[in-house]
Amino acid sequence: MAAAAGSGTPREEEGPGGEVAAPQPQAPTSGPGARLSRLPLARVKALVKADPDVTLAGQEAIFVLARAAELFVETIAKDAYCCAQQGKRKTLQRRDLDNAIEAVDEFAFLEGTLD
Amino acid sequence: MAERPEDLNLPNAVITRIIKEALPDGVNISKEARSAISRAASVFVLYATSCANNFAMKGKRKTLNASDVLSAMEEMEFQRFITPLKEALEAYRREQKGKKEASEQKKKDKDKKTDSEEQDRSREEENDEDEERLEEEEQNEEEEVDN
Repeated sequence: MAAAAGSGTPREEEGPGGEVAAPQPQAPTSGPGARLSRLPLARVKALVKADPDVTLAGQEAIFVLARAAELFVETIAKDAYCCAQQGKRKTLQRRDLDNAIEAVDEFAFLEGTLD
Repeated sequence: MAERPEDLNLPNAVITRIIKEALPDGVNISKEARSAISRAASVFVLYATSCANNFAMKGKRKTLNASDVLSAMEEMEFQRFITPLKEALEAYRREQKGKKEASEQKKKDKDKKTDSEEQDRSREEENDEDEERLEEEEQNEEEEVDN
């Protein structure tokens, strides 16, 4: 189990050799968006393993999921901000998020899951 | 440890950082909104995993791979993620390859140093292997004779 946020050292049991890269939540190497992944792969892996139907997941799959989750966070934050902007507020509130979930089709899977 | 999969949250600090960088300067986020986004991200991963797993099972594979995840994004109508994800994956593969080569190089250097010590040991091993091969050849000959 990860001892501290962002510093998990998972045991690599599956995938084509190699170890899962240590998460590096530091500055990007070059230009915006160049950082490979900020979310710790160990936590993402724990989520993946929580699915009883999943047997194994390769380290590349975990990485892509982590990166996708980051993109998702960016996307939903921006969509929620549009609602806040309409209210001329500078702080994103929970209701902005609920509005975004209702308004955007792709977020339909979230309905009922955040309470 | 966690009771439900949704309880496996991603670190708050990282989530907050991602949100702040996505939004214009000066915009804040309430604690409730932040934790809701964090939970949404976990749900997203779980949902994507389940979709990806379907693709893996269709391919009669037991291991989820990167393309399963990309197919899942398409299925979930997050096509806009696919291109940036592919780029990230290529960068990740290059990095992994670089790391592997670096560690192999280190290993080679290390081996060179200890080579002289191991030479005797490896000669013995080679002899053992030769003996095994001889035994196999003898067995083969016997089989041929029978035929």
